Amino acid sequence: MRKSKEVPLTVLAALALFVTGCHETPESRNCVDEQGRIVPDTNCQAYSSTGAHYHYLYGGASGGHVGDAVVGGSATPSSSSGVSRGGFGGGSGGEGGGE
Amino acid sequence: MRRHTIAPRKHWQATVARTGLTCHTLDDGTPYWDESAYWEFSAAEVDRLEAATAQIQEMALAAGDHILDHNRLEEMKIPSAAAARIRETWNSEPPALYGRLDLAYDGRQIKLLEYNADTPTALVEAAVTQWYWLEDCFPKADQFNSLHEKLVAKWQDLLPYLQQPVYFGHDGSEEDFLTVSYLRDTAQQAGHKTVPIAMHDLGWETAGARFVDLDCKPIQSLFKLYPWEWLLGEEFGPHALESIGAVNWMEPIWKMMWSNKALLAILWELYPNHELLLPAYLDGSRNLQDYVKKPLYGREGEGVTVFRNWVAEEGDTEEGVACVYQKLASLAVEEGNTAVIGSWLVDGEPAGMGIRESSGTISNNTSRFVPHLFR
Repeated sequence: MRKSKEVPLTVLAALALFVTGCHETPESRNCVDEQGRIVPDTNCQAYSSTGAHYHYLYGGASGGHVGDAVVGGSATPSSSSGVSRGGFGGGSGGEGGGE
Repeated sequence: MRRHTIAPRKHWQATVARTGLTCHTLDDGTPYWDESAYWEFSAAEVDRLEAATAQIQEMALAAGDHILDHNRLEEMKIPSAAAARIRETWNSEPPALYGRLDLAYDGRQIKLLEYNADTPTALVEAAVTQWYWLEDCFPKADQFNSLHEKLVAKWQDLLPYLQQPVYFGHDGSEEDFLTVSYLRDTAQQAGHKTVPIAMHDLGWETAGARFVDLDCKPIQSLFKLYPWEWLLGEEFGPHALESIGAVNWMEPIWKMMWSNKALLAILWELYPNHELLLPAYLDGSRNLQDYVKKPLYGREGEGVTVFRNWVAEEGDTEEGVACVYQKLASLAVEEGNTAVIGSWLVDGEPAGMGIRESSGTISNNTSRFVPHLFR
């Protein structure tokens, strides 16, 4: 017998944990759709299997509710807090780093 | 080894999605997880594959020593800035989790095709999806697959060595996201606290000279499904090098020696005519008539060209990149399906296998995953 004795079915539970994320960030950010409208953060924290593309906008102005458009903002966080981001993640062109 | 065709389970898509494999179908609508067939092995064949995997791992360890003792990183096109850190981590042995050997096996000879040592995927399929398939379809048969147990056990071993939480960095594809989610799951089952983070969200705090998460908390343990050659080529590459030691990067940077396809030529040099190796060279195809040209940093079949009778027959040649020239292997082919065995190692020990099928000779990211069993 070489197979695992059991494989507890918690993969989906682990996937669900992705939605817990962090709520306080050094800079305000909103998860937006391709039109720049606010969508729930879960869309940016999990891979979208529907083919829709979501991303965070850092800064900018909006009503702050789902469906509101964000005016301004940047796709990469600013380094105002002495922290710069976006220094990784340019390599894959969306294909991912696994093989 | 023998390929059987079989009726897929009713509602197989929903069934495999429930156990985590949501990317079961390719963009063209054909199955990626393909349970319309399975491969059957004998226990003796699995014994051979397991022993071959362990033996190749031994040879890879010797090759690592050789590469450093004989200063061969430059020849492998590994950036010189990484050399000191590779040497240091090779000796200090920080945590390393897993890897996957791609093997050619035609029922007679086993040959190493390459070692995906840094960022292997197709793990959920191998560890979970095919395990549940076996439970459903052939509960009395066995499977070469103790991946889940071994991953959880390895994470348990690492509990004293890793600062909590352990961050899991991912980027891009759904496949990578699933792999990272599953590895998080195994780490959590072992007692680790885990946090996912997109690679582009990793922050560098200048004042503290440290990596931080989105809450500006320092990151000290980071599993990244993102190859070292990409990390080093990007803006934060120098910070990654600087942080080694303060951050436990998994896989460690020395894995650049094994995931680089120059390893294949170095192994052949160290173990000429070894039964588990194919002739492979860095300086050209030499005396090979049927061979495969692979970029040293190629990924998922990209840039791979198959030559038969010295003529390029399949694949795309990438000009101007360093390559290894490896003799064409004899692969298992049934009904037009070419099978490659992905033989997994966890903590350096054989841990199971997954089989990918392609219509041509080159495996790539659309090669179908077909389950296996043995009796």
